[in-house]
Amino acid sequence: MSSLDSAPSAPKPTASVKLVLLGEAAVGKSSLVLRFVSNDFQENKEPTIGAAFLTQKCTLPNRTIKFEIWDTAGQERFASLAPMYYRNAQTALVVYDLTKPTSLIKARHWVNELHAQASPKIVIALVGNKLDLCNEGGENDEEEDRRKISTEEGRKFAEEEGLLFFETSAKTGANVRDVFLAIASKIPEEIVNKRGGVAGAKGRTGAGEGRVDLESRSGENNAGGCAC
Amino acid sequence: MSSKKLNGHQEMVQLVGRSTAAATFLKSTVRQQQSAQGYRPVLSDDPKPYGAGFSHADILRAHSKSKPESAFVPRFERHISYTDLDDDWDASFDNDVMALGPRSGSPIARSPSPSPAAPVRPHSPRLDLYPTSRRNGGSTTGLKPHYDRIVKDPANSLHMIYHPAVSSSSAVGSASAAEIELVNARISRINKFKRVLQSSNVDVSALRNLAWSGIPDELRPMSWQLLLGYLPSNADRRVSTLARKRREYADGVKQAFGNGVDHAVWHQINIDVPRTNPHLTLYSFEATQRSLERILYVWAIRHPASGYVQGINDLVTPFFQVFLSAYIDADVESYDPGLLPREVLDVVEADSFWCLTKLLDGIQDNYIFAQPGIQRQVAALKDLTQRIDASLARHLQAENVEFIQFSFRWMNCLLMREVSVKNTIRMWDTYMAEGQTGFSEFHLYVCAAFLVKWSAQIQTMDFQEIMMFLQSLPTQSWTEKDVELLLSEAYMWQSLFKNATAHLRASGT
Repeated sequence: MSSLDSAPSAPKPTASVKLVLLGEAAVGKSSLVLRFVSNDFQENKEPTIGAAFLTQKCTLPNRTIKFEIWDTAGQERFASLAPMYYRNAQTALVVYDLTKPTSLIKARHWVNELHAQASPKIVIALVGNKLDLCNEGGENDEEEDRRKISTEEGRKFAEEEGLLFFETSAKTGANVRDVFLAIASKIPEEIVNKRGGVAGAKGRTGAGEGRVDLESRSGENNAGGCAC
Repeated sequence: MSSKKLNGHQEMVQLVGRSTAAATFLKSTVRQQQSAQGYRPVLSDDPKPYGAGFSHADILRAHSKSKPESAFVPRFERHISYTDLDDDWDASFDNDVMALGPRSGSPIARSPSPSPAAPVRPHSPRLDLYPTSRRNGGSTTGLKPHYDRIVKDPANSLHMIYHPAVSSSSAVGSASAAEIELVNARISRINKFKRVLQSSNVDVSALRNLAWSGIPDELRPMSWQLLLGYLPSNADRRVSTLARKRREYADGVKQAFGNGVDHAVWHQINIDVPRTNPHLTLYSFEATQRSLERILYVWAIRHPASGYVQGINDLVTPFFQVFLSAYIDADVESYDPGLLPREVLDVVEADSFWCLTKLLDGIQDNYIFAQPGIQRQVAALKDLTQRIDASLARHLQAENVEFIQFSFRWMNCLLMREVSVKNTIRMWDTYMAEGQTGFSEFHLYVCAAFLVKWSAQIQTMDFQEIMMFLQSLPTQSWTEKDVELLLSEAYMWQSLFKNATAHLRASGT
């Protein structure tokens, strides 16, 4: 079942979901978001200061998820700002750089902090980025394989912690959409429903067209029927 | 190493609670044969190029091959002291070292007139709606003639700046009366600055008064250095002071890189420099990037309480660009500093370092742990906004927009992500003219003026629209006029509220 089949008849329920990106500096958090939101890539993107805010919709067979994305700054000095951004988040992307072992250590730190401090129902995806710098098995003889963290290592960690797991390249776009789709489909209906009240600390007055529409008929279709 | 006697005068800066071996920064006055350039971290047999793709892991690997662990610079995290290692900012001492530099009052420092080789050419008024001294078309490197004199004392550039007044009879072709008036206003302004700057003892408060309304490009390098207290106002001390500070910086670079690097700090700088002003060609050149790396690294390890914080890389660029412009007759934002004689680039780098240091001295609590300076300013901005534009403040609150969500960056990068480098440079003329508190206090009023500028638009928006809007404000087409309007609005708010200190008391946080 693809998202196209179910689309036209009735307008699908739309829910806003708050997503936060965490991870060491320069692992590609902003680049992942830029790829997801604008399908674009910039080679030397300026470091994020504080946090950046973006939105993007993700269409599933039974509902549309609108991500409100907080893309946080990676440098340690800004870490004290992070709780403000993950506090009300339903989902988190913890990003590391496949070519940089210290970035996985940092990712572990963030996962622990989320487990300890964030909403207990938060959906977390672990994302190893910069897949384009990995040249598995010397597929291309010219390119050096710069991978330092094996897929197995990442997957094992993700399984232990109950996280979604992906390896991506913001540069080529590989797997980037899949991350967001998987997260979207993993979001439990009841969280989506409850959410208007929770993160809706955001006084959603006059939320007219296309903002938060919480009429998603709970229990009708569960996330299982995700497109792609 | 630190105790080794060098064959000259030296003194050690006060070091509180730090390992001498690692942190000693000798103010050596011994002449250094080696320039500041060429110093890279000690990573000898690593064939990999350094740059955007260089990873922390590479450094670790290379280091384990080439150096024993013990040679590493100790990490600074354990040092909690807050030390200022740059205690001689006013350059008000050491006559004792003058003998090493060229004597004050030497012909070099005081060359009374331009040499015959550099005839001063009056410019055609047609071209000179914004006359500068930059057109000469001679050298392929874009280097100014007599750059070597400007290196020694920026005052030597003053006599090369000469624009005769334009009268309607002498004007060429179609220059309108209004255009001529504009040119003449600018020329008279330049001459006012020249009168102040050429004095044997520059009246800094007179310079401040002039600078508030903007400094002409060609006089900015010297004016900034005076306003920041880097260049002594006493003309007799300039040559020796500059020579000493530049040697001191070169020594600092050696010290910083000599014993290996602090990997974490170096790595962060290394990945940020290629991401600094990526839209301007100047910052894509190798020579620029290497200079910025050294400046930021030396500053970071000399200020362990804050270390390198993202955003400081933005703050160094106006200095680099302005000081570079002193030596070239070309568009600075697309110039390759690799074309400069090494001596000149060293000087641009050293002067940028010291002026950045001076700027950061005033706002260092923006960058220490938990960034209390920024937290305080954000709270003050919120309070100020409530006073200036209550309905905007109410709207932001109703939409649950937190001030820290948009203004953290305004404070951390001094609005440099919001306005162009050129416009930032114009803003800094005024900040420096405001004196010590320009970058801390006056900036707050500029931010308030900046926010309320968009009040009407913001009040039609919801949370998401506001956040998106405030992250990419439509300032791309801003000209100097827009900046000057902003500054005068800020001045007005400051006059109204500065002594009403209630808003400076952070409420609750």
